[in-house]
Amino acid sequence: MRCLHKGLWSEAQSSWIILYLKFLRFVNFIRLTYRGDIMKRALIVAFLLVVFSSVCFAEDLLSVSGRMNLRGVLPLHNNETATEYPSLLGRLKVDTTPPKWRFHMWLEGGWDGSADLNAEGHSVLKGWSEVYQSTPLFLEFKELYGSYSNNFLELRAGIQRFAWGRLDEYPINDLLNPWDYTQFLRKSLEDRKIGVPSISARLNKRDWNMELVWVPLLVPYRLPLFTERWSVFPEIATLAEKYDAEIIHQNGDLPSRNMENSSVGLRIQSSDTVDWGVTLFHGYDLRPVFKTTESVISLISGQVVVNPGAEPDFHKMSSIGIDAAFVKGDWSWRAEAAYAIGRYYNTRYELWGYPSTPSLGTYKLNSNEHQSDTVAYGIGVDYRLFEDCLLTMQAQQTLINDRPDTLYDRQFETIIWVNLKNFFMNQKIETNLNLAYNPEHGDTMTKVNAWYVFTDAWKVGITATGFDGPSQSLFGRYSKNDQVEIDVIFSW
Amino acid sequence: MTNARIVFLLFTLLIMVSSSAYAMNGRDVFEKVHELRARMLDQKTEATMVLHDRGGGKRTRTLTEYGKNASPEAYKALLIFNSPADLKGVGFLVHARTFAEKNLWAYFPEYKRVRRIPTSAQDDSFFGSDFSYDDFSGPPSLDDYSFKILREETVDDKPCYIVEVTPKIPRKYTRYIAWVTKNLWVTARIEYYREKELYRSGTFRNIRLIDGIPTPFNLEMENHKTKHKTVLTIDQITYRTRFPNEMFTQRSLERGAK
Repeated sequence: MRCLHKGLWSEAQSSWIILYLKFLRFVNFIRLTYRGDIMKRALIVAFLLVVFSSVCFAEDLLSVSGRMNLRGVLPLHNNETATEYPSLLGRLKVDTTPPKWRFHMWLEGGWDGSADLNAEGHSVLKGWSEVYQSTPLFLEFKELYGSYSNNFLELRAGIQRFAWGRLDEYPINDLLNPWDYTQFLRKSLEDRKIGVPSISARLNKRDWNMELVWVPLLVPYRLPLFTERWSVFPEIATLAEKYDAEIIHQNGDLPSRNMENSSVGLRIQSSDTVDWGVTLFHGYDLRPVFKTTESVISLISGQVVVNPGAEPDFHKMSSIGIDAAFVKGDWSWRAEAAYAIGRYYNTRYELWGYPSTPSLGTYKLNSNEHQSDTVAYGIGVDYRLFEDCLLTMQAQQTLINDRPDTLYDRQFETIIWVNLKNFFMNQKIETNLNLAYNPEHGDTMTKVNAWYVFTDAWKVGITATGFDGPSQSLFGRYSKNDQVEIDVIFSW
Repeated sequence: MTNARIVFLLFTLLIMVSSSAYAMNGRDVFEKVHELRARMLDQKTEATMVLHDRGGGKRTRTLTEYGKNASPEAYKALLIFNSPADLKGVGFLVHARTFAEKNLWAYFPEYKRVRRIPTSAQDDSFFGSDFSYDDFSGPPSLDDYSFKILREETVDDKPCYIVEVTPKIPRKYTRYIAWVTKNLWVTARIEYYREKELYRSGTFRNIRLIDGIPTPFNLEMENHKTKHKTVLTIDQITYRTRFPNEMFTQRSLERGAK
């Protein structure tokens, strides 16, 4: 028995030694090839990661999966938005197989056709310091962490994404990860979440568990450039185009990276006939809010340069939330609510103080932020209309306490969201009809898509998306972004 | 003796003969089946599922199932897909307090969220296959069904009871006919009817004795409406695993039972 034990141990040990030696060789190779521009280096790193992972996969130490996604977009208002080129995006997921000590990596990268081709000065590897970072060729670690776990405890350290709360698309208690707004509503919730460096500890005891997360530094949300198709300020993009102006992107001052400015979250949840959870959060609010300084329109070497004087601002907040999920008859219900202390909101654009007729000069802008406590709540339900046909309905509302009239957001802001998912031919075909409606501003989003699965590896999808509503509203700001998109996905 | 008395006696005799024609009744047969399925609950299974469509196309899934028999009736089960890449990490968790009362959850890594599934969905297609969620959810409550032996037949050289099973509770199928092998108490074939129409049928072959438990290694389910077929092959099975309760939590579901 002891011999067998020893044999297994040395086998495991030698596997790890082989893995380690391979890793050293791999690091050395990267060092040797660390020449040339940053794009080449990123490509080399990505290529080597794939090769390295594949070699280890053969040795049964790692589980590797990935996918390539070729996407083409047909804009329906072709001349009214910036050009979007086809994209080729890759995803690589690597997990070690030993269960106690685990390494996990989720790397994304490729060619993003929605990014501004002329954007300069941005790193290929997406970073944690800039709000505006855009480059067609990019790499991003969505997740990269090591973990230790036993039956009762799980410790993780690295780049993580969390999914707290119950609601789809706009969960109320999911406050730890900032969003990537570069193609905001085109992406699903999990696709738009940015991984944050964090340490988490999760205690499991039968049907309940407690998770504590510490995010030592603020990772800001990501916004598209003003010159990109999914810009969140379409008015500025139009203005820039009209006057052939260059717009300066101000990233804002990130809070100093110290203990005091870290964020912390605690979640306790239990599952039985009813699943419930309690969430506490204290840290930076990760919704985009801007502060105004002064706007400068100048002429530099014959080129009009606009500094909009609005930069991302970051504020701390606290939130306490509850959520629950249960089944009643044929209906699967879920709900969540949260009270947030000290959230910031912006006033309407027209009150920021921009001149009605822009000309060269400096314009002192008005203060545009307001702090309020909010209560947010929502309920969702899944109902199977018939086999392989699932209807999901969701309604959620945010109440802003002491709302001044200067805010664009109303005292009650509602989002009603419906999705009808239908499978055909034993899930060879999947169709979705997705509608979202904000009754306060009358803005809507409609998405229709169909996927056809050719084989286990290949599938093709077509998605039509339409937006409508006023220009400052959640969906209406993209009203020129109606499009048809075709995706070809190869996964392994 | 009047004619009426003779008719009455003959009728009584006929009932006695017909009721003693089989040594067991339908409920007895299914109690044996049930007993066997309860013994199968403590297990780990590695399986390959191949979906055959009517045009000859094939899609392959591999999966691992873990089970735990918690008390006379309660049990827990966890199923994780290992491939293809699209389904990798998708999982399904069952907590049954009794054979009649279950909580079901599904996990989709793409959304990083666990969703509760109503038990009314248990007859629906299991992730695009011709099996249903119920086929992976442990034995049912016998009190919810009535049983009747129709006849006896030999299937693959094995003598079988053919039992008609009728649900007393609303289910997708109004009637089942099961071929139960005598002595082994394994279902060799089953047909699912909606009213009189045959909807799907399953054949279970290659029965091997593992730890004294007869286990079919080749399970084939065909949908007669869509002409779609799913073949599940057991690659490896281990019984009496006695997994800890922590293996069957939502956390374990999210982590792919790791």
